[in-house]
Order: sequence, then structure tokens, then C-alpha cells
Amino acid sequence: MEQKNIELLIEAFSNALEIPKSSVDDNLKYQGIPQWDSITHMILISEIENTFQIEIDSDEVLELNSFSKSKEILGKYNL
Amino acid sequence: MESLLEQMKKNVHSIFLDATTGKTYHLQELLLSIPKLDGKKLVFLYLGNDIRSTSIYLSFLDTDHATVLLSESLDTSLKENLESEYRPTIIFDCKRDHIDGFESKTVPSDAFQTSIFIGDHTPTTVHSNCKVLLSTSGTTGSPKFVKLSEENLLQNARSICNYLPIIKDDVTPLNLPLYYSYGLSVLHSNAINGGTIVCGLPDILQKEFWNQMESFGFTSIAGVPYIYEMLRRIGFLKKEHPQLRYITQAGGNLSQNIKKEFNTYCLEHHIHFYVMYGQTEATARISYVPPHLLEDKITSIGIPIENGRLSLDKETGELLYKGPNVFGGYSEKRMDLNKWEHIEFLRTGDLAERDEDGFYYIKGRLKRFVKIFGNRVNLDEIERYLKSSLNIALVACVGIEDKFILISHCEGHIKDEQIKSGLFDKFKIHQTSIKIQQIEEMPLTNNGKINYKKITEDFK
Repeated sequence: MEQKNIELLIEAFSNALEIPKSSVDDNLKYQGIPQWDSITHMILISEIENTFQIEIDSDEVLELNSFSKSKEILGKYNL
Repeated sequence: MESLLEQMKKNVHSIFLDATTGKTYHLQELLLSIPKLDGKKLVFLYLGNDIRSTSIYLSFLDTDHATVLLSESLDTSLKENLESEYRPTIIFDCKRDHIDGFESKTVPSDAFQTSIFIGDHTPTTVHSNCKVLLSTSGTTGSPKFVKLSEENLLQNARSICNYLPIIKDDVTPLNLPLYYSYGLSVLHSNAINGGTIVCGLPDILQKEFWNQMESFGFTSIAGVPYIYEMLRRIGFLKKEHPQLRYITQAGGNLSQNIKKEFNTYCLEHHIHFYVMYGQTEATARISYVPPHLLEDKITSIGIPIENGRLSLDKETGELLYKGPNVFGGYSEKRMDLNKWEHIEFLRTGDLAERDEDGFYYIKGRLKRFVKIFGNRVNLDEIERYLKSSLNIALVACVGIEDKFILISHCEGHIKDEQIKSGLFDKFKIHQTSIKIQQIEEMPLTNNGKINYKKITEDFK
């Protein structure tokens, strides 16, 4: 991913999970912190979709379960 | 009177499956020998969805004690606040190694070891009818509990078994928390009439849940509206679920278009779709729509469950419920536990209408609250909090279609972030569920009260 897009992705995570940008790193996993639960996961998905103007495939909603995985998935959208 | 647990013991088909290990247990194996204490004591159980939580809950159901069911993931400070208010004698909490003033005791069992905390302070007096106490507000740590009796639990479980097609071949996932009345009702009704009950599942947003759904062959799923929204988003309706016999929805109003999509899918796949209505104050369930009539009655909350009766307040149109599952009042502090109110009619706070077939429809709310992600949020409480914590003179909170809370105020110096972070810390309300508008003048009614109707209309 381009650095500019990684910045945007970090911002999307930070907004959706209500955590500081500095906490968004490759260790961040679904349910790894209390703030990333099933409710905020759905918020995160729409935040990412709005940020990049893409539509995330239904199977990928489940696959996107860590910050590093999200970069991998967004790679498929040529970002 | 026969107890709920005795009813469960009579079900020879009941098996509890631990999804994390694949091991199965009979009810008897899950019943731990709780140390004998004189008299009825107050017990706090901080529960998760693991087999041990189910085991400890069922074990206390087998005693005379009154148990308060709470989430194990509550912040420690919230747990301590509740404990200092209510002073329970026994606490079960896997998240803490030590609690001041309590001694840890191992509870032996054939299945697995666990421990509970026992305190030696003067016990809290609890009314003999109080059996299970539940919170209505989810995970905010509010001390307001709904008092339920053994009779409430048993009667509601029986009524549910009367309309849901629960059978001995079922494989039922406990995918809702036990401290939530709907989740607890799934355990109760299936333990007395069903077959295999699956504990220790990951949530539905993890692939592992769907692998287990396939390998164990879940025959039902229970969900509140946001779970249905998730199911739809993750492609549930695009796939086949051959083992699934029925699904249930409660805990608030599901958008009509999503409800219709699920109904169409279920009709095509011979799955029964039960849309239901209830309140913790009625133990869980009040009414349901028979699946074959759902297409015609898509916006209805249905007809009352067995032994329950619905009626409308002649003056206000408020929906009233009468039945053996109506609670014995709220408890907001320690002294309230020693009281039990006889409540003939439960005032639901919902405004309703009835059609010529006897089906009820919710038309609005009398009480000022919204349901966000299945949890009840009291709008007046939020207003009071914002007024005192941020020193706002006039602030108005209204719910917009259970989607978000609209907060209107006239203070130029207050930042949106202050309000959002305050509400998240205090009520665990996510910022995307809050919209804030600064207005020049607060709309008031003729008698000087905030005109909520106008605020809502102006916003739309």
C-alpha cells in the first residue's frame, strides 16, 4: 500500500475504534483490545469503505481481523 | 412448585458441548458442589460465554441463593462500585485473582476446577422470591436490576417452549450472553426441551463460528437487530445452511427491509423465522409472530405467549402485559433487595395498536429511551449527566429511529469531542451513535419544557 493510504487507514481505525493513531500497528487484532468488538468492527468496515470509496466483499468482512490483514485486503483493491 | 433446574434434570436428551475442547457434559456433571452457607445469600456472577460460566450459573440455580448476572468484561472499577453498593456474600469472577475482604475457595467438580470468592461481612438480606437479577442496560455497570423469581424463569421458559420448535435433536449455540435476558432464555428453554447446547463459541464475526456451525450443525441462531445486520453484511443470505431449522429475532425493531429479506430467504429454505418482542421486566419474552404469518404481519410484534395477555391503556395507548413472567420490581440499592412488588400489569413504555386479528404493533414510546445495539439507553439520564459533567444549561437528547442519539445544545464553547468522550466513558456509547448539533435557541413547548417533537421534526 502507498504510504498516503496507510495513513488514511490508520485514521479510519483510530476513528472507528476510538483509539489513538499511535495504537494502530501490526499487533492490533480483532478482540485483542476491548475497543475492537463486533459492534466497532462493523463501524470499522464502513469507515474503511467510506475512506477509500470501495465496497468490501462479504467474506472479507470476516477476514479483516487485524490491522496487517486489512493492508493485505486493501492491496487487492489497488490502493 | 417444581423448580427450573428440576425441569432441566428431567430432560434426558440434554447435553452441553464445550466448543473449545469438543468435550460434552451431562447437566449433572456441570453441577458443582457449592459450599453450604446458612440462609439465602446474595451472589454476583461475572459471566462469559464459556462452559464454566454456564456450569457455575446452573450450579447456583440449584441453590436457594439470589444471583446477579453480570458481564465478566465490566471494568474492575464498575464491578467494585456494584459490590460496595450491594455487598454480595459470594462472587464468581475469572478476571480477578483477589478481592479485598473475600477468601478464594476452590469448587471441585468432575469436569473442571473453578473457584469462587466468599466474604464474611454481614450478609445482604434478600427477599425469598428473588432468584435471578438482571441489568437492563448491558455493560454500563448501572446498579439498576430487574428482580426475577424462580416462578418467573420457569413460566417464561415453558411459554417459550410452547411456540418455538425446540426438540431433542437440536444443536443450539449460546451465541448471546447469559447476563442478557434473551440469551438466558435460550439456555433455559433449550435445557428443558432441547438437545445439545453449545458453549464457548467465538462471536459470529469470527470465521471459526461458521466452521463450527457447519461441523456441529447448529439448528438455530438467536439475534438482536444488529446481529441480523451483521449476518446480512457477511453474506449469510447468499449461502446455504442445511442444518438450520429456525432463527429468532428479538431485542428491538429490525428494519423492515432486512426483516423482509430474511423472511424471503427463510421461506425459500424452509427455515422458520420467529420475530419476537419482550423485556427483561417480563423475564424475556412477551409476544411472537407465528412464522407462517410473518409475511402478512411483517411490522407486528405478534400475539402474546402462552399464559400471557396484552392490552392497551385506554387513555394513553401504552402496551400493558400481564402474565406469570412479570418481574417483582427494580432494585437500585441494597435495601431494595428485601422487597418484592406484586405487579399485575407490566407497563411496557411502548405505545401500541392492535389489528382485527389480535396482532399488536408498536407505534412509539412513552418513556424516553432508545435502543442502541440492543441496549436500552435512558435519554433523560444522558441529559442529566451532560448537564452536570459539562455544566450545560439546556441540552436535549432525542433518539432518531434507534439509530443514533441526537444531542442539541446552545453552548458555543463546548466541543463535540468532550460530549462524545464523556458519553463513551460513562455509558459506553460509541461516537458514531451520537450526532451533536449546536442550535441558537432551544425549542420549548407552551409550558416551558423542551419541545422534543420539534427537535426531531426539524432534524428530519
